[in-house]
Amino acid sequence: MATIALLGNPNTGKTTLFNELTDKYAYVGNWTGVTVEKKMGQLTDSETMVVDLPGIYSLNPLTKDEAVATDYLLTGHPDLILNVTNAGQLKRNLLLTIELLESGIPVVLALNMLDDLQQSPFLFDLPTLAEWLHCQVKGTNARSKQGIAALHANLLQSLDHSAVSPALTLPYPEPVAHAIDATTQALQATHPELPRDFTRWLIIQYMAQNQTIRDYAQRQQLTALTHQTAAFDQQNFEDHIFQTRLTFIEQTLQAARRPNPAMQPNQLTQRIDRWVTHPLLGIPIFIGIFWLMFKLSFDWIGTPASNLLNAWLSGPVTATANHLLSSWGTLPFLQSLLVNGILDGVGGVLTFVPQIFVLFACISALEDSGYMARAALVTDRLMQMIGLNGKSFIPLIIGFGCNVTGVMATRTIEQPKERLVTILISPFMSCSARLPIYSLFVAAFFSRHQAVIVLSLYFLGIVVALVMAKIYQLAFRLKRSSTFMIELPKYHVPRLDIILQGTWDKGKGFVKKAGTVIFAGTVLIWLLSNLSWHGPVTDIDQSLAATLGKLLLPLFIPLGVRSWEVVSALLTGVMAKEIITASMIVLFHLTGRTALVATFSGLFTPLSAYCLLVFILLYIPCFSTLATIKAETGSTKWMVYSAGSSFVIAYGLAVLIYQVGSLFL
Amino acid sequence: MQLFSQDIMVHQLTTHSFQQLDPLTVRRLERLGIRPGSQLTVIRQYPFHGPVILQVDQQQIALRYPVFQALIGGA
Ligand SMILES: Nc1nc2c(ncn2[C@@H]2O[C@H](COP(=O)(O)OP(=O)(O)OP(=O)(O)O)[C@@H](O)[C@H]2O)c(=O)[nH]1
Repeated sequence: MATIALLGNPNTGKTTLFNELTDKYAYVGNWTGVTVEKKMGQLTDSETMVVDLPGIYSLNPLTKDEAVATDYLLTGHPDLILNVTNAGQLKRNLLLTIELLESGIPVVLALNMLDDLQQSPFLFDLPTLAEWLHCQVKGTNARSKQGIAALHANLLQSLDHSAVSPALTLPYPEPVAHAIDATTQALQATHPELPRDFTRWLIIQYMAQNQTIRDYAQRQQLTALTHQTAAFDQQNFEDHIFQTRLTFIEQTLQAARRPNPAMQPNQLTQRIDRWVTHPLLGIPIFIGIFWLMFKLSFDWIGTPASNLLNAWLSGPVTATANHLLSSWGTLPFLQSLLVNGILDGVGGVLTFVPQIFVLFACISALEDSGYMARAALVTDRLMQMIGLNGKSFIPLIIGFGCNVTGVMATRTIEQPKERLVTILISPFMSCSARLPIYSLFVAAFFSRHQAVIVLSLYFLGIVVALVMAKIYQLAFRLKRSSTFMIELPKYHVPRLDIILQGTWDKGKGFVKKAGTVIFAGTVLIWLLSNLSWHGPVTDIDQSLAATLGKLLLPLFIPLGVRSWEVVSALLTGVMAKEIITASMIVLFHLTGRTALVATFSGLFTPLSAYCLLVFILLYIPCFSTLATIKAETGSTKWMVYSAGSSFVIAYGLAVLIYQVGSLFL
Repeated sequence: MQLFSQDIMVHQLTTHSFQQLDPLTVRRLERLGIRPGSQLTVIRQYPFHGPVILQVDQQQIALRYPVFQALIGGA
């Protein structure tokens, strides 16, 4: 089965094209680093696989996610490369194109974002480009689906004739060219199995100090290369290679450039940035945008919709289920499991879908608009103080959706230590799974200031993350790095279809979890609350859940918790934070949220309720996050550390707030 | 509205040699299309040595002040 690899600079529209060309949807965002792991899809109407790889500027990787792409070229053996470029920035994009063309793997070049090019004073003649670069060139506008059909046809056609196109050979200066030829001969003698083009490409990459290739050569014992490292480097081959490529690109573009008769300058980006990146207004606008996001999710749209759903689930749906089950003569034990356990528990969590989806829709709109890069810019100052840079802010914001994706998004951070710090502080970002429990308590105790209280928890999460980052900066002796660099993409008016897709993409995990982990957690807690060591019990006070909860209750009294049910619910929350809500519903034997809210007012004061929320915000990350931390840091030690440290911080802070608060309230 | 009109001070610059920068930063700049001799347009400069927004070949890039200083040859 043939494979096409999608490669190109970050934010050139690879993922958008991928989605247009394949039957499967992948995640799209208007900022660098959306694709952190390769994604596979099937080319529409064909057997061909398409692989979407993270955006890279060159095959010589600086970050972990860039290394994924180079590794793939070495090991994945794609039959065809679809090189996606931003037509408005060809000069820079072609540097990568040349590296790909040299590999000997057939390349189809897509000049994407043609709409942006239309706004500039020049256009490019595609046949001329094709002639200079020895590859197929197609123009596209992935966002409005222009040129996709032609590209699709061309890809299929190119796969058929893939054998014919020769690799591009640039006129490197004498010493380099000579060394390439000599080394090719030497390598072919020792490794005749390597194709000739691939060998040349390896050598050029090796000379250009590509670390991934150098490691590869070491592993494969390509001594003809490894023995010459010093010689290559002393003669500054990297520089020569770079200069030759640049000259070639300039000549190519010169030949292909045509004046644009219908230039339509677009001032949108400039106009918006006048305000959004303003030195004084940038931060207030940033805060304002987030405030708006929370207002929409909790006050204006999300909560009212949630309430409607809740009324429907705990009213008619539960009544009908009870009625049906009784009329079928279901065993009481089973009926209780189905209605009081699963329907109430899982349903109770599902009623938060509107709030979560509104929040995700807002994040998707921000991503698609191009604002995220500006957020990184305006927060860079703040991040600099704690030894990180604005780019760390993006994974943190993604963490608001889900800590797992937040941790994964740290791959774009270049410095390993900065990356580790960002991974460690990511779980303090309040993910969507914690929302249901906030909403419950906020509805019970702070009904008049719901959005503000929830927002305060989000900010507390950020503050704790920042403080911890500062501590890590000192502990790890992070140097003050000056390497923050970020591209500011052009703004787009967010498109409804992209927002909807993005929302669904982020939110479907939550819905899916309701059917799997939360379902399992609910059943588990229901069993624990209906069984003792000696079999089924009718009095929940005798159950396993009660035994366990009561055992640990003393530990939680300093933060104002007075019922074992809450402790048991917290324990289950380590599986997935949503389960806390489901567990409480099951443990308190309640039908949905309304009843729970009433029960709470007897058990908590507003202060102890807030402290519990603080504890839930910060305590041990869920299993999936812990597993991701382990995978991303490659160490169990950091995973255990993350679990332990966050528990200590959560406990300490919650106790502190409760004890200090009790003095005043 | 003084505040809003004076802060966008567009001016053109040419980068000098990158000797003061570490190799990693140089590579990163190269990838963004900034090399010795590149034409830069300064779009916005934040006060108190904050980030600088530049335009290179139709693309806007933000970087920190020390790197910007090194680019234009000042120390
Ligand atoms: N104007 C315009 N925008 C486009 C076009 N194609 C994609 N975009 C937008 O560009 C942004 C980036 O698209 P992605 O598909 O995420 O880019 P990517 O190359 O996969 O990004 P990374 O995975 O970060 O490397 C999104 O906001 C797209 O909607 C196009 O042809 N024209």
